[in-house]
Amino acid sequence: MPEPAIRVETLEKSFPPARSGWRALLQPFEKPSVLALAGISLEVRPGEALALLGANGAGKSTLLRILATLILPTKGRAQIAGHDALRDPRAVRRHLGYHAGSDVGFYPRLTCRENLRFFGSLNHLPSALAAERIAHLAGQFRLEDALDRQVRTLSSGTVQRLSLARALLHEPRVLLLDEPTRSLDAIGAAEFRRFLKTEILRGGETTLLFASHALSEIELLADRIAIIDSGRLLASGSLNELKNRIGAASLEAAFLSLTGRSPRLPGEVTNEGAAQ
Amino acid sequence: MTATLRELWTFFRRDLSIARTYRTAFVLEAVEALFGVAMLYYVARFVDSPQLRGALPHSESYFSFSLIGFVFLDYLNAAMDTFDRSLMEARDNGTLEHLLVTQTSLPVILAGSAIYPFAASTLRIAVYLAWGAALFDFPLREANWLAVAVVLVATLLAFSGLGIFSASYLLLFKRGNPAKWFFLGLSSVVGGMLFPITVLPDWLQFVARLNPVTYALDAMRAALLAGAGLHAVWQPLLVLLLFTAVLLPLSMAVFAWALRRTKTTGTLMHR
Repeated sequence: MPEPAIRVETLEKSFPPARSGWRALLQPFEKPSVLALAGISLEVRPGEALALLGANGAGKSTLLRILATLILPTKGRAQIAGHDALRDPRAVRRHLGYHAGSDVGFYPRLTCRENLRFFGSLNHLPSALAAERIAHLAGQFRLEDALDRQVRTLSSGTVQRLSLARALLHEPRVLLLDEPTRSLDAIGAAEFRRFLKTEILRGGETTLLFASHALSEIELLADRIAIIDSGRLLASGSLNELKNRIGAASLEAAFLSLTGRSPRLPGEVTNEGAAQ
Repeated sequence: MTATLRELWTFFRRDLSIARTYRTAFVLEAVEALFGVAMLYYVARFVDSPQLRGALPHSESYFSFSLIGFVFLDYLNAAMDTFDRSLMEARDNGTLEHLLVTQTSLPVILAGSAIYPFAASTLRIAVYLAWGAALFDFPLREANWLAVAVVLVATLLAFSGLGIFSASYLLLFKRGNPAKWFFLGLSSVVGGMLFPITVLPDWLQFVARLNPVTYALDAMRAALLAGAGLHAVWQPLLVLLLFTAVLLPLSMAVFAWALRRTKTTGTLMHR
């Protein structure tokens, strides 16, 4: 049995309460009391794609950010490729590609190529290989025309695609994506999903953990789905397993049922694109 | 080592590329420097007297004395401001968390972000002195350039520690560090930038002698104006190196702690 690419054991995270005014000065030293993750455990096998599904504030982003070594857990363990995110964060980052789901995070006055080269270099990618990867990813993400333009001149969707290209630049073994298609238009989102499916996941070498509200995206990409609510893992399994477990006709119905959310109002049109 | 140098070069190239997109700023800064130098020159002409000259350490004119004090303040500002500014920009444009998920270590990220601003400040000093020498007879011929370079590096290292402390404060509390402004303000009064510290009352002279700026300026004037070599400026250099030895590792440790605290509270990207 191969070692899991991602292993999370009884992970807990609490934050100090948000403060304003002069009390904000005390926040860094306050006792954490706002629970974000309440003992989550899960594993993702090498080459597997696991989707995190949950309402806003369920703890999906917190989990991803702990794995990305950007947040420290309160209790429990998080491992990437056998390396502990708390004790050996640099080793974790060696295997990691991270996309925060936003269209910021670049130097606006540098071109796309300069930005990618910069982050590639900080990930120890040799120049020649970086140039090759940039050209390849630019083709995949329809960025060829934008490569030599300053980022500040680009649309939100293009910057989002650029951000995804950055996450994949150093060919990480584990890819963490937080709402990866949030700012993309329908065509861009469809192309991105197709790219992930055919170029990244088909090879079986990259492990994907992603958070999304787009159910169609989850159904297309995920081998398994983990449903999270209020920092707790409610259920996990393949799409069919989840549906069969509660006798639901769709992922949306399964999600609403498992999280105890209200069923649809009579006559309400089903929105296949969003969980809430 | 090679990997670290490559990472540092990467940061320098990033900042140089960004600076190149503001080409007119270079020209405007050079013109601004000329106005600054001219202003000091005419103030010096107005106040200069044999009596004043006799009271100035290492200097034959008030112009050369004050020009060094003036440009040195800029250097001090750069050393103390660079880390704050880099951190704030990284936070505001969202690059901070993307830098922190790369394989590059935190000390290299910090040092790398400071290289270009320090180089730009050094260039700015050179422009000021060049204007002074070309148009207003600033005496560059006497300078001991090796000693000047060593004093500059020692100054940067000594005050970088304070800059990193300031960045730690910003990281933790999301606002500028009042201690930095107090130190810069105090240094402009007791550091001996525009007047010798001998004009200060005794108790302020005592404060001045506790301030590393006083030593750095003294060494800089000696090296630049009196041609003093390393053997002649070893005492102020030693003070600067002691400051560096204490402040730099301590500030790095405090920054690492502040970052850890911020990762615990989840406020890394908060403003």
